[in-house]
Amino acid sequence: MPKRLIKYIEGDSEVHRLDPRAKLLFILSLLFSLSISSNFLELLPLFIISLLFYLNSHLPWSKTKPTWKLILTIILVLSTLNLLTLTILYSGARSVEEAAAKMFSVDIISKSFLPIVKLLTLAVATVTFIFTTPPNLYAPALGQMGVPYKLAYIVQLALRYIPEYIDDMGRTLEAQMARGYRPKGGRNPFTRILAVVPLVVPVTISATLSIYDIADAMELRGFGEKKCHTWYRKLSMKTPDKTLTAASIAIAATYTLLFILKTG
Amino acid sequence: MVMNLNRKSLISVTDVVAMGVGTALYAAFNVFFNIFQLPGTQLVALRPSVCIPMFFGYAFGPIVGFVSGFLGNTISDAISWGGFWWNWDVGNGLLGLIPGLAAYFIPREKLFDKKGLVAAAILSVIAAVVGMGFAAYTDYILGYGVSTIEEATYALFLPAALTDAVNGLILTPILAAAYSAAVKGRARRV
Repeated sequence: MPKRLIKYIEGDSEVHRLDPRAKLLFILSLLFSLSISSNFLELLPLFIISLLFYLNSHLPWSKTKPTWKLILTIILVLSTLNLLTLTILYSGARSVEEAAAKMFSVDIISKSFLPIVKLLTLAVATVTFIFTTPPNLYAPALGQMGVPYKLAYIVQLALRYIPEYIDDMGRTLEAQMARGYRPKGGRNPFTRILAVVPLVVPVTISATLSIYDIADAMELRGFGEKKCHTWYRKLSMKTPDKTLTAASIAIAATYTLLFILKTG
Repeated sequence: MVMNLNRKSLISVTDVVAMGVGTALYAAFNVFFNIFQLPGTQLVALRPSVCIPMFFGYAFGPIVGFVSGFLGNTISDAISWGGFWWNWDVGNGLLGLIPGLAAYFIPREKLFDKKGLVAAAILSVIAAVVGMGFAAYTDYILGYGVSTIEEATYALFLPAALTDAVNGLILTPILAAAYSAAVKGRARRV
């Protein structure tokens, strides 16, 4: 398991330098606008904005290749599924020839690919956020965005304990093997991963029992006593961050207006 | 400094730690189980780890369960492939929230006896159906990737809900029983 769990790729691009709060607000605005868009004309600007966000991050292809392979596989599977189900169930075709002819009609193609463009737009934006934001800034960003500090601290705690529990799985497996348990190993990666199943109960119970000790230690240090909380990493909004924030608000406002005009 | 340790708050320090630990555990196990993609579905994986938010919800309450499922899934998706889907994260949060509702109709001292464990199993199945139903059908309603309700049902909802229901039905009561026995041994708070 790699030491750096979250897929952050170091860099010095404009997107890397942006305040995580501005990036998070941008993602939320995109998410909202995508959810209320219903045709290609509305989706196209969002897709271009999302793509520009990704391209400005100058992420190396070699490091993002596995992610793109997965996203493109999903898109290929879903496009085929969409085309097939729409043609078979909704085109009204009564024979194979008729279905084949209707499969590539404008209506079926647009209905099949609209959700795919939405999915791709969202994927491009979230992937850029994850790859360009250091995980140690997640909690301070949430805390300094106005999220109650206890909730922001949960993210900090979780990121702190994930590597520990992964190590715990290894230790528990070794302890079980010392008592005679022999997991099916070999070269098959799936059987090796299946060996993790018997670890769910012991690792969860031992982690759960430690909750009270950690909580006691935190209470003794005064955690939760005061309503405010200061963060070691102080974030400050610079001009590009303010511009992105303003653009995010403008995007969300424009799409809301379009939605009201459409439905009203 | 005199601290008022009896102060009532919506989220106690124990809850904060339980949410952090639940999130970390769920994310850590998901990283391994995310590899088990079910054929013919999109990113629906066979995950015995769904019992973790279900158990955390049942043992520590609905808010702890929801946050463990929601954040655990967000973080594990970020680790596994570098992105996240908000509606599947909320769906996973519901996996933890619904078993936590037991606290409203089962007295705390009966939560881990035989009837309590049966309730944990039933609530886990309901949570799997509601949580995965929310995730799959919001994909259809908001148009994220799927065009038809049939696709949302057969490619997303059924594989996800069935596997999660079976895993939750078997593993959540086992976790609850093991936790109850371990806590009794330590003579600590349940």
